[in-house]
Amino acid sequence: MSINPKSHRSVFSMIKLILAAIALVVTAQATGHHSVTGQFDVSQLLELEGTVQRVRWVNPHIYIQLEVTEENGEATLWSLGTVPVAMARRAGLNADRLMSNGEPVSVTVFPARDGTANLGWMNSIEFSDGTSVSIVPDRR
Amino acid sequence: MLSNPVISTRKDRSRFVLLTLATLTMISPFHIAAQSENSTPTPLLPNDKPDLTGTWYNDEMGWINPIIDEDGSIVCIVGCELLVAARARARGEEPPAAAPSSYNDGAPNRPLYKAQYQERVKELDERQVEFDPALRCGNPGLPRIGPPDSISQRTDQVIFMYEDLGGAFFRIIYTDGRDHWDNPETTFLGDSIGYWDGDTLVVEAVNFNDETWLIDDGAFHTRGLKVTERLSRVGDTILYQATAEDPEVLAEPWEMTPRTLVLDANPQMEPLPCVELDMDHIVDGTHHDNAR
Repeated sequence: MSINPKSHRSVFSMIKLILAAIALVVTAQATGHHSVTGQFDVSQLLELEGTVQRVRWVNPHIYIQLEVTEENGEATLWSLGTVPVAMARRAGLNADRLMSNGEPVSVTVFPARDGTANLGWMNSIEFSDGTSVSIVPDRR
Repeated sequence: MLSNPVISTRKDRSRFVLLTLATLTMISPFHIAAQSENSTPTPLLPNDKPDLTGTWYNDEMGWINPIIDEDGSIVCIVGCELLVAARARARGEEPPAAAPSSYNDGAPNRPLYKAQYQERVKELDERQVEFDPALRCGNPGLPRIGPPDSISQRTDQVIFMYEDLGGAFFRIIYTDGRDHWDNPETTFLGDSIGYWDGDTLVVEAVNFNDETWLIDDGAFHTRGLKVTERLSRVGDTILYQATAEDPEVLAEPWEMTPRTLVLDANPQMEPLPCVELDMDHIVDGTHHDNAR
C-alpha cells in the first residue's frame, strides 16, 4: 500500500507548524468559507504516491484526482481538495503543473474526518522533476 | 476633472484642459496633490463623466504572499509568515513584522444590529456551515460580493461584472434617469439605478430578496435592504465605497471598508464555475472569520 504515515517526530513537528497556520489557509476568500479543520483531520498527515488523473480547476476549492497504485497492484482513486483558484493563481500555479504530464507525484494529505475513503486535503505535492508546491509550509 | 458647459466638443475640452493646466496648479493645491498621486488622465465619456470601463484589480488576495524558491518550487502559499520568520531566525536575523492576515488586516468591521436581533446573528454565525447561503455556490448578494471585477459603461447604463467563488454574476445599473422597477421580482443583487454626484457614480440598489448575508458572520438582512455604492475614478484607480441600510434590523447604516481598485492591463480571465464538493463532508461548524 502506497500510504506512508511519516515518522511520529517529523509528522509532529510539521503538524505543529501546519496547525499554527491552518487558520490562515481558510481565511482566503472574501465570501464566507468553512474551515479545513471542520472537514479534514489535521492531526494526521498521510503521504501518497501516484499520478494525477484529473484537475478540477474550480471554486471554491481546486480538486485533483490522484491514482494510487496499492501494493496488491490495484489502483485507488483519491479525491484531494486544496486552495481556491485565486490563491493558486497568485502563487503562479496552474492546472497543467498539477497534472505534471502524468508523471508520478508525491502528495501529503489530511484525510477526511467523516471517514469517507480516499478523500483528503492536499497540503503539498512534489513533482518528479524535484520541484514542489506546499500550501502551508514546513519549516525547511 | 473640470467640466465646463460652454465646451461642446472633445477637441474644445482638450484645448481647455491644456490652456488652464497652469492656472489649476496655481490655485488648487488639492488638485496638485490629486494629480501627483495619479498623473494618468481620467478618461471621459461623451457626457463628460468619468469612464469606469475596464478590468479592475481590487487586491483581495494582496495579503497572500507566496514564497517561490529559485528552482520554481512554491514553498508556501498561505501562512508564509511563519516560514519567513523561521528562515530569518535561521540566518540570525529578527523576523519581519507580521504581514496582514486579510486584505484589511483582520480589522473587524461588522454591521451593528438592533439588540433584539443580535442573538439571531450570533446563532447564524455559529451555524454558518448550515445556514450561510454563499457556501453552496450561492449568490453572495450585495455588498458582500464586493466591488466589480470588470465594468462596461455607456452613457445610459453601466454593467458591473463579477468573478466570485459562487460563479460569474453581473448587474446592469441604469443611469438614464429611470426609477426602480415597479412590482419587481426580488433578486440576490437588487435592482440598481445610478446617477452622478459630480464625478462620482452613485448606485442605489433595492428590491433584494432576503437570501443573502451582508458579510460572513450571520449578518442577515431583510427585503428592506438598500445598498448605496459610490465609485470615484481618478486616473487608473477607483475608490469603491458601499453602505448598507436595513432599518428593520440594523441599528445604523453599515459602511463596508472602502476599497481601492486599480486598472488591470491583463485580460479578464474566464470566470470559473462553482462546484461544491465539500459541504457533505463537514463534520462540525468550524469556520473562520472573514472581517470586512
